[in-house]
Amino acid sequence: MLLTPPVQAVDRQFSRVLVKVSHGLIGICGGHARVEGAVLRDPATGFAVEMRDGCNAVNVTILLWSAVLAFPAPWRLKALGLLAGSLLIQAVNIVRFISLFYIGQYSMTWFDFAHGYLWESLLVLDTMVVFCLWANRASRYGAVPNDSR
Amino acid sequence: MTADKRLARFLVRGSALLILLLVFWWFLLLNPLLFLLRDSAEIFGSLILGDDSRQFVTETPSGDWSFRVPLEVAMPPIERAAMPLALEQVPLPGVVAPRLPQQSGPLQIHSIDFDIARSDVNAFTFSLPVFWAIVLAAPGIRRSLRPLIFGTILVAILEIVLLLIFVEISARNAAAQLAPQSGWTKWFLHFGEYLVVNVIPYAAPFPIALSVHRELRSQFFRWGEGTPIPGGRRPGLQSGAARNGRPRSKKQRRRDMGPARQS
Repeated sequence: MLLTPPVQAVDRQFSRVLVKVSHGLIGICGGHARVEGAVLRDPATGFAVEMRDGCNAVNVTILLWSAVLAFPAPWRLKALGLLAGSLLIQAVNIVRFISLFYIGQYSMTWFDFAHGYLWESLLVLDTMVVFCLWANRASRYGAVPNDSR
Repeated sequence: MTADKRLARFLVRGSALLILLLVFWWFLLLNPLLFLLRDSAEIFGSLILGDDSRQFVTETPSGDWSFRVPLEVAMPPIERAAMPLALEQVPLPGVVAPRLPQQSGPLQIHSIDFDIARSDVNAFTFSLPVFWAIVLAAPGIRRSLRPLIFGTILVAILEIVLLLIFVEISARNAAAQLAPQSGWTKWFLHFGEYLVVNVIPYAAPFPIALSVHRELRSQFFRWGEGTPIPGGRRPGLQSGAARNGRPRSKKQRRRDMGPARQS
């Protein structure tokens, strides 16, 4: 579904929102950056990073949603898991985006490494742990049938 | 230790190991692993996809990988006329261009040559350090040794298979520029490429680690342990007698409380 045109349009809009949030956070922390659509640019060096498909953590969010929806828990807890899990993943993703913005200004070799490999695997690891933390709580408070014991 | 703390510790250890092992991989292990991957791809690729006339994969002077994939493509005359235009387009990120024999008249293509940038092949060695980080993040390094070896072999096989699928998809994408394909075929190739390059190498180490490491699996899937439950016991912890509404004996209660509380 991610590759279909209507979803792609929503996906791009979502990326722009994330870039704006990142820009706001950089401003709060005393940094300088400029937003141009889904691009974050450093006014001094001209270095820019663009949040494209796959950079907005939508793929891992979908992974989390699939796991949460498939888990036997009450709908109230599922809704809570979807919301809290998505927020956590997006928070990590914004840290990732801002860190890449600065790493890229320092070294492109490190940028390629952090962008292509390090942050991707950290996000998957975070998603897995977020799901397990939620599932742990859901089964503790949600009376999940567990006949496998 | 509660399950939440166990998971939090696993997250911290796993993140630290991921950073360490990926840096180690990027600066030291990448070249040896690429060398092994190329030789493995040569052996298995020649058996499965290649032909005897030329090596399946060779390395260009710039370090990119050059593939020859046997593929029967009948090029229609109109497409043949538009070939110079097609050759100017870059079919895939990293794929330089298909190289075709220069001749006139009707053309039947038997194989396609194309280059894949070295940076694009890196992704097919990346699952190994991720797998190692996850397994080593589990408590008890000695107990992790056997799953580590077994899982490494599984991940290595998976990476070779993924590379071969990627090469086949790249060859078909290159062929699609010469002989048009249906919309469904294009979408299927695009989707397959997305899975092989952007999803499986990143996601696969996690289920593989959980499937080969019993202790890690039990840590992850021991839902709901470690904290007293408000409002009574969970149904899953009740014995058969209690489920039937009969009071449990002392022995049954001891059995229920005993090993399940240990962490």
